[in-house]
Amino acid sequence: MNIIEIKNLTKIYDKETIPVYALNNVSISFQSGEFTTIVGPSGSGKTTLLNMLGGLDKPTEGEIIIDHINITKLRSRQLIDFRLRNIGFVFQSFNLIPVLTAKENVEFIMQLQGTPKGLRENRTNELLRSVGLGDRVDARPNKLSGGQQQRVAVARALASKPKFILADEPTANLDSKSAENLLEIMEQLNKEENITFIFSTHDARVVAKARRIVTLEDGKIVSDIAK
Amino acid sequence: MNYFKLAWRNIWRNKRRTLLTAASIFMAVFLALLVRSIQTGWFDNLVNVVIQSYTGHIQIHKNGYWDDKDINNSMYCNDSLLRVLQSVDNIRNVVPRLEYFALSSFKQQTKGVLLIGTDPVKEDNLTHLSRKIIQGKYLQNTQHGILVAQKLASYLEIKTGDTLVLIGQGFHGVSAVGKFPVQGILHFPSPQLDNQMIYMNLPTAQEFFGADNRITTVSLMLNNPDHINQTVTLIRSVINNDRYEVMRWDEMLVEVMQQLKAKTAGGNIIIAILYMIVGFGIFGTVIMMTNERIKEFGVVVSVGMQKTRLAIIVLVEMIFIGLTGIISGIAVSLPIMLYYKVNPIHLTGNMAKTFINYGIEPLMPLAFKPAFILGNVIIVLIIVSLTCVYPVRKIFKLNVVEALRK
Ligand SMILES: Nc1ncnc2c1ncn2[C@@H]1O[C@H](COP(=O)(O)OP(=O)(O)OP(=O)(O)O)[C@@H](O)[C@H]1O
Ligand SMILES: [Mg+2]
Repeated sequence: MNIIEIKNLTKIYDKETIPVYALNNVSISFQSGEFTTIVGPSGSGKTTLLNMLGGLDKPTEGEIIIDHINITKLRSRQLIDFRLRNIGFVFQSFNLIPVLTAKENVEFIMQLQGTPKGLRENRTNELLRSVGLGDRVDARPNKLSGGQQQRVAVARALASKPKFILADEPTANLDSKSAENLLEIMEQLNKEENITFIFSTHDARVVAKARRIVTLEDGKIVSDIAK
Repeated sequence: MNYFKLAWRNIWRNKRRTLLTAASIFMAVFLALLVRSIQTGWFDNLVNVVIQSYTGHIQIHKNGYWDDKDINNSMYCNDSLLRVLQSVDNIRNVVPRLEYFALSSFKQQTKGVLLIGTDPVKEDNLTHLSRKIIQGKYLQNTQHGILVAQKLASYLEIKTGDTLVLIGQGFHGVSAVGKFPVQGILHFPSPQLDNQMIYMNLPTAQEFFGADNRITTVSLMLNNPDHINQTVTLIRSVINNDRYEVMRWDEMLVEVMQQLKAKTAGGNIIIAILYMIVGFGIFGTVIMMTNERIKEFGVVVSVGMQKTRLAIIVLVEMIFIGLTGIISGIAVSLPIMLYYKVNPIHLTGNMAKTFINYGIEPLMPLAFKPAFILGNVIIVLIIVSLTCVYPVRKIFKLNVVEALRK
């Protein structure tokens, strides 16, 4: 079943001066349970595509339909709420809230969703255990390594029970061992819990783990290979 | 509540900055309260001197007397009026007076004077007139001797034991002439009063002006001056308002009040400057705090926090810092104000001399009024709210993608 359908997506930056086609008439769909990577040279439009997909930015033209909802038509408040209920984010530079502990960072999302306290706590502990951080629940981000922070970020992204998780170069700031570890956890979540991941990367070893590889060049899809 | 916890943690993420900001608000509130307290203490003290040496807190006249202080605007003094007033709650002293101008003459010298006929005992209770005697003795009900203010006496070159001639126009135009033995010399703090006052007992004055049983003024002293408005209302409810006017001291001392207010303007400027400095200080902090956190704002909005909620958290943080400054400022200045209200500062040096020359005890009580605190709380909250416009605007105009790229 398609959970995401992108139709004729175009994003033009600096439209008035020298227009840059960050995305040029891209059409693609994603299904539930995918483990997909977006690759391509620097400036090819990976971040732009993920931002559109996450409803963080508006396209110049085209539609993004997630679960029958055209998110390009949503108003700002609705879009924020849509993100909260449907999309998990993992950022390149971790971006945990520095004043909250690992546990509180994960709980934060459920708090925004209005999940009752008891449920929240159980799920938080479960999620942190599943990313291998059951013993660091009370540590603040600055007491955690990059790899550990990124695993907390994955747990946070999962907390809202999103339809899919978007990750823009999640391993770019990690050493190779941590990167490998993170990927293993993501793969495991994908296999065991059927979590949908769409992530971009420059790392060949990460690409090797993906089951579908979408390649962008100059804002266009040049290949789309499923393994 | 977790959002409150988030705000609380944010407040302490840069301890030094938070403490500095709170401390600057503390200093401003503390100094502003002290300045206000000293200013008001000084002001009230001087006003009290005038009230206690002359006007009383409230006066009752025949309607229209205050605008035209003519003896023909005097009123018949019946005991029942005085008795009714005496029974009104909060009234301590009731002093009937007959006041009018006359010409005084002794040997070669002549001078216009303000003649006050009064009840010696009641007058003394209200204004402590007897304490102003520097020579001779105080009035008695049975004698028609008079008291002459010092400057006036020296102008007329008259001393106790001499006889002063008074000439004037009495009630309904009768001519008033009399000879009165000087039985005491008074010293008034105010040169103006010292130059023109003559006191005699009420019946003597009524006889002199041909105004039997008439008075111009009933002066009232209150137990609690803060309840003056309630007392005025009470008085109005028991007397005939068509016949009498009831005036508060501040309605009578309009000019004095204006002069004093002009003198306290300096303090207000100090307070304004203080708050301006603090305002800019807070603004600087807020700008730094906001810009440091733009990326974080981007993160929480992208993962699904509504901007209004985020703005509320930031507001809570700022209000907390503001309140910390306000509360500590009040906590420290309150005991100081209350202490020096009860135990006035003893002035020394030139300042003390000036006070003594004006016949005022060289004491400087501080004032304390709840309005000071309320005023400062409001000012600080306004400053904080104004500075909060910056982060709130930033949040609502936040472009998530740009914020995340920082
Ligand atoms: N805010 C912007 N204003 C103008 N041009 C932009 C903006 N953001 C991206 N671009 C341009 O859009 C194109 C695609 O950028 P994008 O960041 O999506 O590439 P990317 O594939 O993520 O690159 P990288 O691998 O370096 O992260 C680039 O040419 C870039 O310069
Ligand atoms: Mg990118």
